[in-house]
Amino acid sequence: MSQVQARFFTENTKYLIDDVPFSIPAASEVVDLSGVINKLLEAKNDGHKHVEFDFLVRGQFLRTSLANHMETENISTEEVVEIEYVEKFTAPQPEECIMHDDWISSVEADSEWILTGSFDKTARIWSMEGKAVMTVAGHTDVVKDVAWVKRDGLSSLLLTASLDQTIMLWEWNSERNKVKARHCCRGHAGSVDTVAVDPTRTKFCSGSWDKMLKIWSTPLMTFSGHNEAVSSVLWMDAEELCSASWDHTIRLWDAETGGQKNTITGSKVFSCISYSPLCRRLASGSTDRHVRLWDPRSKDGYLVLLSLTSHNGWVTAVRWSPSHEHQLVSGSLDNVVKLWDTRSCKAPLYDLAAHEDKVMCVDWTENGLILSGGADNKLYTYRYSACVSDAGA
Amino acid sequence: MIFENRLCKKIIKTNRPRRRLTFDVIDSNPHGRIFSMRPTHTGTMSKLKNKKRNLEENEDEQLPIFDKDGGKDGPHLDDGDEDQGDLSESEESVFSGLEESGSDSDDEEEEEEDEEDGSEEKSSDVEEDKTDRQLSAKEVIKPQTDGQNSKEKKKKKKAAGKEGGEESVASDRDSGLQISSQVDEYEHDTSDEEDIRNTVGNIPMEWYKDYPHIGYDLDGKKLFKPIRNKDELDEFLDKMENPDYWRTVQDKMTGADIRLSDEQVDLVHRLQQGKFGDVNFNEYEPAIDFFSNEVMIHPVTNRPQDKRSFIPSLIEKEKVGKLVHAIKMGWIKPRRPKETTPQYYDLWAKEDPNSILGRHKMHVPAPKMKLPGHEESYNPPPEYLMSEEERLAWEQQDPEDRKLSFLPQKFACLRAVPAYSRFIHERFERCLDLYLCPRQRKMRVNVNPEDLIPKLPKPKDLQPFPTTQSLVYRGHSSLVRSISVSPSGQWLVSGSDDCTVRFWEVSTARCLKTVEVGGAVKGVAWNPNPSICLVAVSYDDTVVLLNPGLGDRLVCTASDQLISSYEEPEEVKDQLVQWAVAEGEGHEQGHRLILKHPKAVRQVTWHGKGDYLACVMPDNGSSLQVVIHQVSKRRTQNPFRKNKGLVQCVSFHPIRPYFFVATQRYVRVYNLIKQELTKKLMANCKWISSMAIHPGGDNVICGSYDCRLAWFDLDLSTKPYKVLRHHKKALRSVAYHRHYPLFASGSDDGSVIVCHGMVYNDLLQNPLIVPVKVLKGHTITHDLGVLDVTFHPTQPWVFSSGSDGTVRLFT
Repeated sequence: MSQVQARFFTENTKYLIDDVPFSIPAASEVVDLSGVINKLLEAKNDGHKHVEFDFLVRGQFLRTSLANHMETENISTEEVVEIEYVEKFTAPQPEECIMHDDWISSVEADSEWILTGSFDKTARIWSMEGKAVMTVAGHTDVVKDVAWVKRDGLSSLLLTASLDQTIMLWEWNSERNKVKARHCCRGHAGSVDTVAVDPTRTKFCSGSWDKMLKIWSTPLMTFSGHNEAVSSVLWMDAEELCSASWDHTIRLWDAETGGQKNTITGSKVFSCISYSPLCRRLASGSTDRHVRLWDPRSKDGYLVLLSLTSHNGWVTAVRWSPSHEHQLVSGSLDNVVKLWDTRSCKAPLYDLAAHEDKVMCVDWTENGLILSGGADNKLYTYRYSACVSDAGA
Repeated sequence: MIFENRLCKKIIKTNRPRRRLTFDVIDSNPHGRIFSMRPTHTGTMSKLKNKKRNLEENEDEQLPIFDKDGGKDGPHLDDGDEDQGDLSESEESVFSGLEESGSDSDDEEEEEEDEEDGSEEKSSDVEEDKTDRQLSAKEVIKPQTDGQNSKEKKKKKKAAGKEGGEESVASDRDSGLQISSQVDEYEHDTSDEEDIRNTVGNIPMEWYKDYPHIGYDLDGKKLFKPIRNKDELDEFLDKMENPDYWRTVQDKMTGADIRLSDEQVDLVHRLQQGKFGDVNFNEYEPAIDFFSNEVMIHPVTNRPQDKRSFIPSLIEKEKVGKLVHAIKMGWIKPRRPKETTPQYYDLWAKEDPNSILGRHKMHVPAPKMKLPGHEESYNPPPEYLMSEEERLAWEQQDPEDRKLSFLPQKFACLRAVPAYSRFIHERFERCLDLYLCPRQRKMRVNVNPEDLIPKLPKPKDLQPFPTTQSLVYRGHSSLVRSISVSPSGQWLVSGSDDCTVRFWEVSTARCLKTVEVGGAVKGVAWNPNPSICLVAVSYDDTVVLLNPGLGDRLVCTASDQLISSYEEPEEVKDQLVQWAVAEGEGHEQGHRLILKHPKAVRQVTWHGKGDYLACVMPDNGSSLQVVIHQVSKRRTQNPFRKNKGLVQCVSFHPIRPYFFVATQRYVRVYNLIKQELTKKLMANCKWISSMAIHPGGDNVICGSYDCRLAWFDLDLSTKPYKVLRHHKKALRSVAYHRHYPLFASGSDDGSVIVCHGMVYNDLLQNPLIVPVKVLKGHTITHDLGVLDVTFHPTQPWVFSSGSDGTVRLFT
């Protein structure tokens, strides 16, 4: 098998070529194919600049030679192979490295500001350029999680959850750069490890080591059902809540009634979860090396849709891309942040190996910024733009 | 009556007892009738004789039989001559019936016997005896009848000679071959009557005693008695003078004297001697076996072949058809060909190979001698001949080391080869070799090593258990002697030789708190009661109760209150240890209570309820090695009065009020309520280092410095149920998991071995122990590896602390 019949297509109108089957060498790799496409495009319009392309064969990224790929995927070499080409995602560009005084336990960024929680019992607000704007101090113990509630002009509401069993709601005026504690939510009997604001931005939910989930609104709702500490909580939509726990389960709750809707049972402690409304998948990191994708609607709570394995330590943080249905980022105890595309489950798209110690948290903003904080007291930000131009691919 | 008599005679010849019966019949008949009938009969007789000429030969001899019939039918014959034809037919039938011999006579005999039975009804029992007697009588009589037969034969021949001439001519003329063959057949017939001079028959002659005649001749005239006027004197004279007197007998029928001829005298002698009458008869003639196995060309009998021998038999055809069908269908199989190889009885088949004879089978042939090669030739190729240096080297070598035992030599011809001087010597050595060389076949037992390993489930099937190192808790600068996990599983405490106690968050390996103490920390123990937040730390001779302030705030404050709310009792007893409340800087660090012991404390361990605390102060010379503190009452007691050996470690039973004390060799189990020793476990090792109690309370594991881990089943025995020797160096610590069927052991070789140790509720089922994983991570410093192991309370994770100053979490 030396030659393969292939037909190239793309959904990006900028790089359309004629719909003709080509005979290409089977041993050709991504670079060779990319050269072929560029040649064709050059022949079509003179003003073409060289673009690196990535290739998908039946929804899977081509990473090895075409022959190898087709053999492993069991694709017949007799027929014409349909190869989709997309503009290659450019590697995330590191932008800032923000130094902290202590381990960074959590990070959340909105379009302008970055909020981090740290083991030095404070939360900090940073500008996108990495300038320390504000230090929110008030907790008596490690800040475990932070969250932006809403922005109302110049004033913003933000939440910090701490090991001192409290959650504090702060109001921060960016113009005057003043922060004011609005509420101190006491009620948990253990460290509050996670906090999540609902899509309507009117209430929030917290999960704690005392196995409880609490929705802080009037009235206060407490969900008990987990047998072990709650490690992560998120809102799937305004009525539905999802929580991951050390008791090896992910539970879906009805936020209105407090009833359990579904339980996903794994075999390891879940340390973090993330939900993508684009692809309606739940990604979970647990105390092993795998990132697992789940279908939260599935009644069969044991079925792993996809397992992304490349880390060497516990996966401590996962976050779906807010704009791309296939991409997610994960951080692990092996000091590496990995950028995944679910179409290429064998290997991640990019390894972001900047941290020198455990990665504790990652975030991905709507404007294409990837943030990761770790036990080396550093918060790294990366600009990842390819996904924007390739939106809809 | 005469005819009847003849018939009787005929019958008598065949059967003796019958004669008697016939006589009876004759006796019953009226005598005179004979005479009236006789003329008629003789007339018939003459007619018959004429007719006979046309019939078969020798019938004249049978005539009396016909006569008999005629006699019976006598009255009918009187009616006329028409019946003659009929008569002839009846003659034939009767003749043939008689000819067929025995059967008829047998019938008659039976009838006669019946008659006898009738007459002798009363003595039926005697009947058998009687017949027996008759039979024996028959046998006795037989030779006589034979003699009679021969006599009669002769007479008959004479008679036949009279008429035979004409008759034989006629018969030849009439009936050819067949008749002539019959001539032979009837020649032997003796049924003639020899003496027809007196026709009175066989009657007692006494009847004629008073008559002048003694009977009638054939013509019916009286036969007169010969004149006998001899008196006794005449008789005597006759006897004296007549030389033939001895052979003269009187014929009773005629009364005449008959002088017996020589032959007749001879015959009488022979008969008297019991010999055959005929001289010429050879009774010992060689018998000819006609019916031998040899196939003759002529048949033994002249019997013509049956018709059925010419016609194919339908029955046989049917049988053969069935057989053919069965063969075709394979129901009948051809007989297996006989094995031509001779079969011999194996004399040695059941020989016991271990017996003395058995070893002959294990014979190992003697090693063959090497065949001579070129170098032994008298004219070897030049390359086999040794050069001068080689020869010198050969001569300097020891005879045992020499490659060749001789020097190859070259001779011009075979004739020039001298006698081999060492021949006898070599023969002797060869024989010595064969004699002294022990040749024995070794019985090697082929055992597959795999079969000796007990069947254990695969570790893969026993998940979950810790497999990889996940987190490393770094911070200590010296070896970490002891670790303990909070009951919630969120925190970990470790005590180190760098005089610090560190508190770690399990999930992040973050050290949240460091408490300095006044010495190298030997033991730490987190209070197992979740509602109390206290950690016991032992260093030097002090035990400090720390409140780390971790976990639920309420619990922490409650613990503080518990300690501060203590009220000094009114009567103060002398305590073994000094209880003091920490104050100042120590209190801020978390110190709450300080217990000063008289000796260095090596181990601290809590009771499950969290109120009692046991401390070990190893000391060989004192009885004060173990003290038990009650925290809430700040009391201390020494449970043991006697020193039973160097105490290594102690432990509380998780459920029942038992207390385990491990000394160097033994583990003693005490009942705390009854205050008595309940069990003494023999560890079979030299020095116990550590001990752990199964959460169920019925199983104990002990680690020892001689690399062993002993599992005791308290219900089973005081000896170890199983001893595992997986570590290469001394065990330092062992631990059970609280929920999962796991136990772990840490050793100086730097590894932690995790085993699956399933304890079943069924008392009959022994625990299942499977080593599942060797966890390595600690570096060995100062010849020390892992110093302590402990399990996470809820997850299948194991923590290990090592001499490299780290605590590691394996998940």
